[in-house]
Amino acid sequence: MNDQVSGISLEAQEENVRMIRESAGFLRAPDRMAAVRAARHIMPGITPADRDAVVSMGWLGMRLPEERGGVGFGLAEFCALSEELGRGLLPEFVVQAMAIAPLLPDAVLEQALSGERIVIPAWNEKLGDPDHVEAALTGGAITGTKRFVLTAAAADSFLVTTAGGAALVDAGASGLSLSTLALQDGGHFGELALENAAATPVEGDVARTREEAMLGMSAYLLGMAERTFEITKEYLAVREQFNRPIGSFQALQHRMVDMYLQIELTRAAIGKTARLLDDAEADREECLRAVSRTKARASDMVLLVTREGVQMHGGMGYTDDCDVGLFLRKAMIVATGHGSAGWHRRRYARLADLANNRLAA
Amino acid sequence: MTTELERRAAADASLSDEEFRVVVRDWIAGNYMLERNLRIRPPFAYAKPWYLKLSERGWLAPGWPVEHGGLGLSIMKQVILVEEQERYGCCRLNEMGVVMVGPLLIRFGTDEQQKFFLPKILNGEIRWCQGYSEPGAGSDLASLRTEAVRDGDEWVVNGQKIWTTRANDADWIFALLRTDKSVAKHAGISMFLMPMTSPGISVKPIRDLNGGEELCQTFFENVRVPHANLVGELNKGWGVNSALLGLERIYVGLPKHSAHALARLHDLMTLTGAWEDAAAVDRFTQFQFDLEDHIALYEAALEQVSRTGQFPADISLLKLSQTELCSRITEAMMDMGGEIAGLFDPLVEHDNLFLANQFLLARPTTIYGGTSEIQRNILATRVIGLPKQ
Repeated sequence: MNDQVSGISLEAQEENVRMIRESAGFLRAPDRMAAVRAARHIMPGITPADRDAVVSMGWLGMRLPEERGGVGFGLAEFCALSEELGRGLLPEFVVQAMAIAPLLPDAVLEQALSGERIVIPAWNEKLGDPDHVEAALTGGAITGTKRFVLTAAAADSFLVTTAGGAALVDAGASGLSLSTLALQDGGHFGELALENAAATPVEGDVARTREEAMLGMSAYLLGMAERTFEITKEYLAVREQFNRPIGSFQALQHRMVDMYLQIELTRAAIGKTARLLDDAEADREECLRAVSRTKARASDMVLLVTREGVQMHGGMGYTDDCDVGLFLRKAMIVATGHGSAGWHRRRYARLADLANNRLAA
Repeated sequence: MTTELERRAAADASLSDEEFRVVVRDWIAGNYMLERNLRIRPPFAYAKPWYLKLSERGWLAPGWPVEHGGLGLSIMKQVILVEEQERYGCCRLNEMGVVMVGPLLIRFGTDEQQKFFLPKILNGEIRWCQGYSEPGAGSDLASLRTEAVRDGDEWVVNGQKIWTTRANDADWIFALLRTDKSVAKHAGISMFLMPMTSPGISVKPIRDLNGGEELCQTFFENVRVPHANLVGELNKGWGVNSALLGLERIYVGLPKHSAHALARLHDLMTLTGAWEDAAAVDRFTQFQFDLEDHIALYEAALEQVSRTGQFPADISLLKLSQTELCSRITEAMMDMGGEIAGLFDPLVEHDNLFLANQFLLARPTTIYGGTSEIQRNILATRVIGLPKQ
């Protein structure tokens, strides 16, 4: 079924995933975390080097069909790349930018692919509720307030969701004012106040795109957790106290296994949800439920793994020089945004109407 | 002739614990002159007026004997002084001198050491930092390697200490050093005092996860220390250290830290409307039970202190219970905070609600002063009586 849907065989997909991971190899370089550490709290929130890499690798076009200048990859490939970005803590708005590229009209898309124009989505308005949208689109202009816009200062355009569909707004448009809030990972949220700001409506399934972005964020969290787990594992092997590696203590071993289980559950959930969403025939509500299940798992999992990573590093874990701290402080933003675990569980319970649907035993 | 100190000591001792608490409470309200409820320990220069005020009243070092400038008060009354300062929101002081060095010198110091150092602790002239942990000796402290080698009337010190909190705001360091490498690890350690201005000592602050720079590394390169700065007997430093079952144990068990976090979680739930969410209410209620029961455990421990004059053997339970509860509450802040969980600054419009700060500040509490893992080892073997590994 899967190979029919995405039009390629599983073998071809695996080869794509291998190539994609290879293209992100620089994110695994030994000096990557030093670069991430140095880039914190510097506007606009992405380094020129990272921005050049994203453009030159053609990542923004990965979800586009070939006739629009892309490579037409499915969600398995998209998730694999998002995972690599998470491993290397590349600013996570890039996951969103990849997801929304297919929605962009040709002229804007061309600029996005060439790196001339960064387009960032502005979905949220209300704390803790990604579904709440009041902004109004009337007569080609938007009025409303969008909040928690990731890395907003880097945007040349915003893709703004409104009660009347989504539209593109130029970052320099009159009637748009941007303020920023600093975040623990060294990035920022933007708040967009829109007062009759000129907007160009976009075609396409914006709601579905947001689901794909949420799934991508789950994969990003998976990559973060994998790297944190590896760093912690290495430390437990080399750190000696009481004349033995501390990783030989059962109390720590069992906790590492608990984390490993959560990581593998997350990986499995992401893989299955990606296949489901790639299936054009799939039931829409089933897709939403699967995304919620996955993001809830990924959020809880990454907070567990990064917290434990700090604890197992002892005093070193509480220093800014220790890489696990970079992942913990990133988790505080990515796990809690894009629908927190609690929000996704509530959405799932509502959609599944759990009270009236007993599992077949 | 009765000195002023003796008169005060007798007066305080004559009060019941309840009466004493009322006197302390009124006195703090009438005398505390700095900002209340600071969430960080301020530099000494800021805290000094309060330090001296307490010292003048005899309540800086209430447990020291009168002949050394204290009031010789019971452990229970010392705890009351801590509790009431916390309750009022007085700033934390650099208490190393009062809580660690003073009792150390009173018990093991020479006359000269006592006469020189104790008054200078009480008047704030000498501030201390602690040189215990090393990069290779944390949970396994006894494996420490910073070495002192005898050279006539002096010792020459080489090595490196870490987590020397406030070493960049201290005048002297008290340190455990390796003085005999040929014997079992616990048997070759000695305690020394060194001025931080000694040639060869350098300090490097460590930036922590929350942006603070209290933690430090301290390096020793051919630092010369007079033999007179040895505390206690040579190679008996481990015992000297273990004999100090200090009042600092009570700080980490204070329910106030968790109570404060829970109050802020309450604020968050009001802000987000989470009181409509049955799961969130259940979770909050569980925390409230945990807090109430921790308070009961804490009070039971104190009752034992007041009856026996000693800390109970399982005093470490208080640290585990308090720090892990506080950690869990701040984890719930991450789970329930949504997009504001990771903000870098406090929310001024919501009474400075600052979820990330609470969460990050809770992280090291299960690490310093013996990690939760080490506390569990101690409780398992020494209190429950399980076999050692």
